[in-house]
Amino acid sequence: MPDEPLIKSRPTYTEVSLRPNTQKHLFVSTAQSLSRIRSLYEAAPKGEKALYLFGKPEVTDLGTECGSLSELDVVINALPLASAVYVAGDEGFLWDVHNLAEKAGLASEQIQLLAPESNKRRLFCTHCYAITEEVTYSPHACSGCGRLLLVRDHYSKLHGAYVGVQINAEDPADIPETEELV
Amino acid sequence: MSIDTIQVRVTAIAEVAPAIREFTLAPVGGELLPFSPGSHVVVEMPAEPRPHRNAYSLLSDPRESGSYRIAVRRQETSRGGSIYMHESVAVGDELSITPPANLFSPAWSARKHLLVAGGVGITPFMSYLPELERRGANFELHYLYRSSSTGAYREQLEQTLGERCFLYDSEAGNRCELGTLLADQPRGTHVYICGPETLIAGVHEVAQSLGWPESHIHYEAFAAPQPGNPFEVELARSGVTLNVDADSSLLEVLEGAQVQVPNLCRGGVCGQCQTRVLSGDVEHRDEFLSAAEREQGESIMPCVSRAAGKRLVIDL
Repeated sequence: MPDEPLIKSRPTYTEVSLRPNTQKHLFVSTAQSLSRIRSLYEAAPKGEKALYLFGKPEVTDLGTECGSLSELDVVINALPLASAVYVAGDEGFLWDVHNLAEKAGLASEQIQLLAPESNKRRLFCTHCYAITEEVTYSPHACSGCGRLLLVRDHYSKLHGAYVGVQINAEDPADIPETEELV
Repeated sequence: MSIDTIQVRVTAIAEVAPAIREFTLAPVGGELLPFSPGSHVVVEMPAEPRPHRNAYSLLSDPRESGSYRIAVRRQETSRGGSIYMHESVAVGDELSITPPANLFSPAWSARKHLLVAGGVGITPFMSYLPELERRGANFELHYLYRSSSTGAYREQLEQTLGERCFLYDSEAGNRCELGTLLADQPRGTHVYICGPETLIAGVHEVAQSLGWPESHIHYEAFAAPQPGNPFEVELARSGVTLNVDADSSLLEVLEGAQVQVPNLCRGGVCGQCQTRVLSGDVEHRDEFLSAAEREQGESIMPCVSRAAGKRLVIDL
């Protein structure tokens, strides 16, 4: 719908590049996005970089497997002041890592996010606050309360999620047609 | 002035360093507004032929709102505002000030605050320190001065801050190794610099070369308008032409002609006085406009910037 005003909270993603004057370059990627971040990782100076992977990558000679965000948190909290973090994955994951890095004291210009790897959205229910992962169409049932939620473009960076509101509160029998999200 | 001014009375004057005087300002009727750490006021001095208007940081504890305190360094080579404060202002005098404004607030999300003060640049940090203490923040003060002229409050600071206070008297040969200081800081440190432009530029440059993120580097310099070549300015809306002499700023000349221009800092940082330029080249001296905006040449900050040529037409 081109006539709709742009929702300002929805993040936009620009080209990612190596940050100059950096002591440590930390790359964080899902297995699926490895191919997109790999050339940037390889271009970073040897000895000053690390790659952490979530999920089993097909290429196993590259990077360290990381099981959870709490493991990654330990890594981020050992970074020096002049660090840069590059993240690739689903949008919810991007902002989880972003928020972890920001909490550890990195400035937003030190954290670069590649464009999300898919249109999968994390959905936040404004009624019961439950999170529903991997949402690709709207409206979508909330995993917590079951309400049928309109998936808005309004984005919460704090939750790494799009905001969902019940679409048929007046008449729960009214089930609108579903639309593929972009 | 763009904002209603407040009348204050000078209730005390103290010499806090050989070239620095501290003025205590109490309200004339009514109460003073509360302020946040890093705030400043603009003091209007009724000098002839035109009033001086200089910005000074408030150096009292923000919780003590009974009076404001400012400290003024005597600048022999400046246009006279500081000399007026030193020579013509006495206890009991009344002055007009603007309400406090803040362009140099601490970044409260910082994990560590590194304060770097040069000379009279200690003043904004005097209002930071009580608040940093109350919040239990992690901070260090590095204070560079020349004991024959500046170095105000250093004994008091050393006493209350203990090992978080680092003093460098250049006359005693104590130098602050900026490279070492800035390289040794943990992730999440914010640095704040107040002092001469050379100090700000020095810290900024070293921090950048060490990979500090730009948004963690904060500084405040109230560049008093420097003299320049005289020029003519035409106000397109009224058709009036004014002459800006070598020692006056464009803003002062506009004010002298009763043309109201919003302003807060009068030092090229706040952006309030931004004015559209219709023709003529600008000699940009502010810290506000981006490189691209300077390039476009469509705006001037009349508080500090001037015409590059003989004539300027502005949209007023």
